[in-house]
Amino acid sequence: MKNEKRDILLHLYGEADSESDLRTLLLKSDLKDEHTALSETKFRLDLRKRDRPDIRVIETIMTAARTGDTGSGVSSRIDRGPLQRISRLKKMFIPAVGIAAIILFSVGVGLYSVQLKSNSASLLSASGQNDLVPPESLYRFVPSRQGTISPSGSVNNELSWDDQSTLSTLNGRINTMKPSGLLDWGESAVPLEMLPGSNPRGFQTAGSIRK
Amino acid sequence: MLPADEDLVVKYVEHGDERAFRTLVDRHQERVFGYLLGMVRDREVANDLFQETFLKVISALSRERGSYTVQGKFLGWVLRIARNAALDHLRARKKWKDVSSSQTDDEVDYWEKLPDESPLVDVLLHRSEQSEVLRDSIDALPEEQREVLLLRHEADMTFREIADLTGCSINTALGRMRYALINLRRQLMAQHSKDLTEVAE
Repeated sequence: MKNEKRDILLHLYGEADSESDLRTLLLKSDLKDEHTALSETKFRLDLRKRDRPDIRVIETIMTAARTGDTGSGVSSRIDRGPLQRISRLKKMFIPAVGIAAIILFSVGVGLYSVQLKSNSASLLSASGQNDLVPPESLYRFVPSRQGTISPSGSVNNELSWDDQSTLSTLNGRINTMKPSGLLDWGESAVPLEMLPGSNPRGFQTAGSIRK
Repeated sequence: MLPADEDLVVKYVEHGDERAFRTLVDRHQERVFGYLLGMVRDREVANDLFQETFLKVISALSRERGSYTVQGKFLGWVLRIARNAALDHLRARKKWKDVSSSQTDDEVDYWEKLPDESPLVDVLLHRSEQSEVLRDSIDALPEEQREVLLLRHEADMTFREIADLTGCSINTALGRMRYALINLRRQLMAQHSKDLTEVAE
């Protein structure tokens, strides 16, 4: 049924293949009625007067065809309403905002890291440790109960959780080697026995010490 | 014998023969404009879209000489550009509703599944001139039916070409055409009956 109605329509518009016979189809009353109804309407449509575009439009097109300039004609188009303008703005605006946000974020991260480094450097210089403490030690975990070294070099008793023997030994050596204040650069030499911590008896041979 | 579209295009593209292009525009202006006018139902907008279509044609021909020959027939290529312009306009105005191909490609029960738009009979306006009645009746058709009717009657495309252009099956194109004719007939008969009644009164 559906193929026969399809064939009726194709015959009506001259697009049927040769195998389909219109006369055979029209022997059926319902198909004949359909063909009559459709052909009457088609006839009315075929008689319609055809519309043409305005002559100014044709002239604009021919000017563009002659000069090759198609930009001005497109820009003179009638406004298609705000919706399309908004969609065009969206297409341009959203990527631009995205790129700007990425740039701002990158700049912010950069500035923050630079500021962090400068703050760390100023703290170290203020404490006088910037030449002794490597930069990576700034980010090392420091326990809150770590013991403190007093100005005199003694270790507090709070150092109970960690083995401080190495630290105590090192601090003792530093304290021993600390200049006395009497011995400055450029002053005249003094005997070693006069230096603090030296044996007052002067140099001794290794053999006598063992004994 | 009139030169073929392809020969005219070659004359314009290769030799800059603007008369050849003018012949092309004159030859197809009614088809393209009739389709656009039927789609947008506004003469100024149709003029605008017609101009945009042919400016794009000129731009494409001058920019890419191979693009036309790849596309196939000149009229089909121009109508594809015109259709895109018309759909762009209609979508921007939110007056167009796409039909998904999955719903319409079921060819087995297509004839039985198509809805009957009989309520459109009641939409007929009070017009006396037959041409206006016919135009109004075409305007009142559902978009899918109206487009197939315009492509067949205004642009003189075959149903196969219509199917290719609109991205549907040939059975879908034929079904839309059939219902377009049936609905038009109903509206015209209703108007005729109305006119007879007015004369009798």
